[in-house]
Amino acid sequence: MSATPTSPVTPLLSPPEAMSQAMDSGKCGMLCLICSEITFFGTLLAVYLFYIGKDPAGTPTPSEVLEVSAAPMKVVFNSFFLLTSSIWITLAVRSLRKGAMRAFAFWWLLTILFGIEFLVGTGMEWYGMIADQGLTIRTNLFGSGFYTVVGFHAAHVAIGLFLLSLVFVLTLLGFMHKRHAEKIELLSWYWHFVDGIWIAVFTIVYIIGR
Amino acid sequence: MAHDTQQPGTENGIHLPAPTSSPFVCAFGVTLIFTGIVTIWSVSIIGFVIALVGAIRWWKEVLPDNVHQLVPLEEERVSIDPKPGGVAHLMVPGGTHRARIPIEIHPYGAGAIGGLLGGLSMAIIAIVYGIIAEGSPWYTVNILGATILPSLSQEDASQLAQWHTWGFLFGTLIHVSMSIMIGLLYGVVLPMIPRGRILFAAAFIPLLWSGLAWGSLRVVNPVLNDHVDWTWFIISQIVFGAVCGFIVTRSERISTMQNWSMLERTGMESPGVPSIGGDDE
Amino acid sequence: MTTLKQPGQTNGSGYLRAPFLSRLHEWISTADHKKLGVMYVSTGLIFFLIGGLEATMMRWQLAVPGNTVLSPEDFNRLFTMHGTTMVFLVGMPILLGVANYFVPLQIGARDLAFPRLNAFGFWLFLFGGLLLYFSYFGAQGLYGMGSAPDVGWFAYAPLTERTYSRGHSTDYWILGLLVSSFGSIATGINLITTILTMRCRGMTLMKMPLLVWLMLIDAILIMIAMPPLAAAQVMLLFDRLMGAHFFDPQGGGSAVLWQNLFWFFGHPEVYILILPAFAYVSEIIPVFCRKVIFGYPLMVAATVSIGFISLGVWVHHMFALGLSPMVNTIFMGSTFLIAIPTGIKMFNWVGTMFGGKIRFDTPMLFCTGFLAMFLIGGLTGVMLATVPFDWQVSDSYFVVGHFHYVLFGGLVFSIFAAIYYWFPKVTGKMLSESLGKCQFWLLFIGFNLTFGPMHVSGMLGMPRRIYTYHADRGWELWNMLSSIGVLIQIAGVLFFAWNVFRSLRSGRKAGPDPWDAWTLEWSTASPPPEYNFEEEPVVYSRRPLWDKKHPEDPDWKYE
Repeated sequence: MSATPTSPVTPLLSPPEAMSQAMDSGKCGMLCLICSEITFFGTLLAVYLFYIGKDPAGTPTPSEVLEVSAAPMKVVFNSFFLLTSSIWITLAVRSLRKGAMRAFAFWWLLTILFGIEFLVGTGMEWYGMIADQGLTIRTNLFGSGFYTVVGFHAAHVAIGLFLLSLVFVLTLLGFMHKRHAEKIELLSWYWHFVDGIWIAVFTIVYIIGR
Repeated sequence: MAHDTQQPGTENGIHLPAPTSSPFVCAFGVTLIFTGIVTIWSVSIIGFVIALVGAIRWWKEVLPDNVHQLVPLEEERVSIDPKPGGVAHLMVPGGTHRARIPIEIHPYGAGAIGGLLGGLSMAIIAIVYGIIAEGSPWYTVNILGATILPSLSQEDASQLAQWHTWGFLFGTLIHVSMSIMIGLLYGVVLPMIPRGRILFAAAFIPLLWSGLAWGSLRVVNPVLNDHVDWTWFIISQIVFGAVCGFIVTRSERISTMQNWSMLERTGMESPGVPSIGGDDE
Repeated sequence: MTTLKQPGQTNGSGYLRAPFLSRLHEWISTADHKKLGVMYVSTGLIFFLIGGLEATMMRWQLAVPGNTVLSPEDFNRLFTMHGTTMVFLVGMPILLGVANYFVPLQIGARDLAFPRLNAFGFWLFLFGGLLLYFSYFGAQGLYGMGSAPDVGWFAYAPLTERTYSRGHSTDYWILGLLVSSFGSIATGINLITTILTMRCRGMTLMKMPLLVWLMLIDAILIMIAMPPLAAAQVMLLFDRLMGAHFFDPQGGGSAVLWQNLFWFFGHPEVYILILPAFAYVSEIIPVFCRKVIFGYPLMVAATVSIGFISLGVWVHHMFALGLSPMVNTIFMGSTFLIAIPTGIKMFNWVGTMFGGKIRFDTPMLFCTGFLAMFLIGGLTGVMLATVPFDWQVSDSYFVVGHFHYVLFGGLVFSIFAAIYYWFPKVTGKMLSESLGKCQFWLLFIGFNLTFGPMHVSGMLGMPRRIYTYHADRGWELWNMLSSIGVLIQIAGVLFFAWNVFRSLRSGRKAGPDPWDAWTLEWSTASPPPEYNFEEEPVVYSRRPLWDKKHPEDPDWKYE
């Protein structure tokens, strides 16, 4: 009547092989951190998008502020500096891998300088808006959203610059070696993330939002 | 930051991260920074200084390399010893005790046929009841149709006794599909009941279902509830259960393929592969 | 903590009394995942007592109509603090604590991936919680207006705006939670990294114990859902402190947006809290039924899909808001959808028990209680997911009854199951079985007496968050029953406290493997040495200890 199975599932004959870890802990942790940062910025940007064109208080509107103060060109200029710094930090990490410490220090310093330029540029833009246009965080919805989104990005750039400078000082003191390339690469991932977020912020605030 | 807990052990100890109060100090500072926002700004300044002190100490511990301590091994070692026996094996046909139970099931077709025949006998009883109660064979099918036809559910008993095309169609549709589904359920569930299967099929489930319908129908659709004669309802459920259960339990059981090899499951036949399927007897 | 193991100084008893300060320093400076786990769970239990006390006061006030034990203002503070405490300061630390302790042990690792970050996360959580409770003193002392937060645990705008919530109490709510959620995110990231990169040899993803799987999905949810809450809170803080207009309707801001943002965090948070309950039950039931878990791959798949779907159901908290029927219908559908994987889990637990040789020790007793109570909570959840029904009972005591069946009957029962199951591993002492059974029955009866009647009073129209009611509404009996139930629950909790205290002093020695269990944590001493495993374990199947105990019939031949 019933079927008679010969044998159960064929047994494995040898114990499983040792597993090779797919990923280093530091890399995985940094990726997770970036993921959670993306959801943080995603929320801020979603709110910004939601409020575009919903401002009852009117002036100053995004187009007034972001055009009249000649901000677009300034912002494009600043963005250029921030985005190219990603190239320099990649070159720096590559040099560190090879153990070329002088080249590493050079590219690293260049990254820091370009980052500082971006931060200073943002500061000047803000000064122009506050002093000339009278736009503050309490003026209207646009002000609230603009300063929050751009402000949080700038804060992340500042934190990044602080960490980059720390590494630079350690390099000058001679503590950095080829074997730290893995840790330094993680820092460069964070820097790339800050750049990537800027592309999203720029698109939404300066292009769609205008 | 890379994981520093997978350091190789030595003869008499294992390297672990050294204890450090830096995270504590740093977290305290960070909290003070936030506290300053709702108290006095100087609290934030103090908090920043504390957090910075904590962070610098922390960096000193991980940069350029992580600080470790050597933890000596404990004298007491734990070993897991083999404990053969002590386990009562459930022996299943085929000489193995590793199986997902049930290893034999009734064919799904038996469930569907059982459901259909059960539904048929149930319908006969319902028609008999309709003729006795209202003098019409259409009465009960219209009530069933009324569960989804709002217009029908408003009518009184004499109107329900008449022929309604839509009432007949929907009533039959509901009845047939429910019968097949419950028949399939019987087919799947009955092999899992250790004993008293026919009792389970003919008494337990019909009574459970009747109770559920009795309890919910008066809340869900009180108008319809007035038309239902619960004694006849229970009788028809029991007849369904008995017929369906009888047909399912009398059907020939077939083996699940869980113990078959991949080749056998795919039905390949080649020399060297013992043929096992259903065709060995 | 009364007992402490000094590394390297084990004498006969294994326990030494060091001077208080040095013991304190050892706990403060530790980076050991086991000590941090113990601290997490102990802190969570202390906050559980505080939150329970707040609930008791509310039930005292509501026991009879027109009661004047509490003022309306105090009542508002109490329900806000009760909700906030139970979610953020009880549920979160206990689940992170258990994960902290047992994830590394179950995957055969020596610690989490980032031990110092782990300590940092714990201290952030603790200080955040203390900051929240400091509002009882701080907010009033400095400004004389309001004290603890009184805006409800989900702090709906515009009630939280400066115009309506004067003083700093709401700021304390924001900042306290912000600080502690930084800690939770850090620990979540830590757990993901640990699980993905530090498993011992042979432990592929599909050979991980279910606790590890569930905590992986849980940590991913923490990582995705907590930052949006932080962002929303930061915007609210900017509104309150700097005059921004995000949630201020007069300035064009949207109060509905806050609800969307809050519940985008809030609903995954519910699953962040309940997934660990599933995890403990999935570990305990097989051991006490002497069978492997039924349908392991399906359990994993159900967990992953719960994680996914839980990110897309948040609007069911806002059905009564007046969103479009289309939106309501879509979210009703997605909410029904989540009942499927949850139902799969229920059936798999029952399937594990089916035909098993069940031992009803206290952990199993609590698991059985969990299954029954969570089933009720789940079914009322399906009822509430139905928009027309939700419109009838939204914001009523029916909802309160529902989520207490999920979070108390579900989470807290499973936490007690976990404590009874793993206490021997953590302390080396067994908890008393007889006291444990007394606790279970007291808690079970008291719990049902408290929260069962709430469904009725909710159906009779009693709204949430009212501080008193008139005698002519027909709610008196149900409220009285609820309040009496609280007394029985308190007795249950006292039994637990006495049990822990007594067992720590003079409990029976546990030995490494008191339950004859199968996962790696039972292969080391109780309590485990600081390094967990002398040699890195190698596993061949989902039940490595079964393989070792039964070499004649190992699992790895069949998986």
